[in-house]
Amino acid sequence: MFITKQKKVEQLMDNYQQQIIRCVDDFIKAVNEFISEPDSDRLRKNSLDVHHAESVADDVRRDIEEMMYSRSLFPESRGDILGLIETMDKVPNKAEESIRLLLNQHIKIPKMLNADISQLLEVVERCVNIMLEATDKLFANFIGSIAEVGKLDEIESHADTLEAAIIDKIFSSDIDGFDKILLRDFIQDIASITDLSMDVGDRVRLIVSKRRV
Amino acid sequence: MLSLFSTYSPISGGLYLGWTLGANDAANIFGTAVAARIITFKKACIISSIFIILGAMIQGYKGIQTVSNITDQTISTAFIITVAAALTVTIMTFLSLPVSTSQAMVGAVLGIGLSIGTVNFQPLLKVVICWLFTPVASMFVAMIVYKILGFILDHWPMSILTRDKILWSGLLLTGIYGSYALGANNVTVSTGVFSGLLPGVSDFFLALIGGIAIASGVITFSKRVIIEVGSKIMPLNAFTAFIAVFSMSTTVHLFAFVGAPVSTSQAIIGAIAGISLIRGINPTSNRELKRIAIGWTLTPITALIFASAAYAIFI
Repeated sequence: MFITKQKKVEQLMDNYQQQIIRCVDDFIKAVNEFISEPDSDRLRKNSLDVHHAESVADDVRRDIEEMMYSRSLFPESRGDILGLIETMDKVPNKAEESIRLLLNQHIKIPKMLNADISQLLEVVERCVNIMLEATDKLFANFIGSIAEVGKLDEIESHADTLEAAIIDKIFSSDIDGFDKILLRDFIQDIASITDLSMDVGDRVRLIVSKRRV
Repeated sequence: MLSLFSTYSPISGGLYLGWTLGANDAANIFGTAVAARIITFKKACIISSIFIILGAMIQGYKGIQTVSNITDQTISTAFIITVAAALTVTIMTFLSLPVSTSQAMVGAVLGIGLSIGTVNFQPLLKVVICWLFTPVASMFVAMIVYKILGFILDHWPMSILTRDKILWSGLLLTGIYGSYALGANNVTVSTGVFSGLLPGVSDFFLALIGGIAIASGVITFSKRVIIEVGSKIMPLNAFTAFIAVFSMSTTVHLFAFVGAPVSTSQAIIGAIAGISLIRGINPTSNRELKRIAIGWTLTPITALIFASAAYAIFI
């Protein structure tokens, strides 16, 4: 009974992680394509992919929650997993929110920022992958999760540095004042994905600490 | 029919004492698991009852022999002993002092023995030494098991859910073992003093009905104590709860081999002290320590006084 429930929870968590990485990958692809060739129609189409991945992730999250509320597992682990997926859920939500910002507010990205934004997106991708590696390890070798969370600290601080540098570049340029604000918001949104990944890392750290003898 | 009733009715005192023991001591075995909703109260009751009776039947008679050897009994003194012990347990519980049913019973046996002047000090000394060693032995078992199991759990790659599964199985198995040990060690407290006093009733049968009395205490009246002990006195997680119950069970079972009835409450307090020492935290406040010391000292003395007074008045 317990074994079946455990397997089911592990499978659902694995599925949830795959949906998150799919959503983030679609988001990164959409932004990269937009900065290399600003095409609103293609961005709209790509944003639908991000939205779809986010919806599927939400469905899987609900399945996990439903399973948790049906009295599976230890109460302590139930609370921990519910808290974890609630924190993880903010990552695809933020990806979807950022792509909507780009689309709905018709943000124009100057060519001089292309390389910087691509670099920031790379860092975001690495950060999300490590965050998922950490959560994955909770269900394979939970003590090993801590090493992954340690890597997150480093990457998140790198993302902060990049974000600050890009915002500085935006406000030092001769871009229109209003566009500067929109660009700043967009950059902050992208960078905040690493902050949210870090929040997941903090949750993982707490889950492991509670279980360390 | 009436003569049958008058012959066998004194055992009601022992059954009542067994019932109070079950109501109080089941909390030491399943308190944390039930309070933390790891095991349901119903499951805990069923498991506890079955294994208490099994423990009493398979190993309980040894303790029966030790207690009945402390002093010579008549059916009347046996009845006084059980009622005096049960009354002591009731008063101590009312005063919220930690109480050991086995100490109350041995105190009452000694009270009768002193009144009639036939105390056999050899088995008594054995019991008292075992009392002193109970919390200490449990503390050491807890410290050793904590270190070994802690090392394994911290170094063996596993899912948090596998860890849960291990601890869930561990709590269930130690609950079974603890129930068995409680029956094996403490059944003597319930019906031990009636050994050889009831015509046609063997020690095995006394162990059986004593075990049933303890089990009925678990089923009918232990819920409140289980919840209170589980949530207040032992704020442990699944791992430390497992260590505490395992250490308690091992210690109490060890003393069942020796044939000395010891207290599960004292064993569990010893185990918690051991866990606290390893984790470098203060196990309890000075006020709580004082309460424990008062409870442990007053229980046998009160039972001794009650039994002596009842003997002086009624016999």
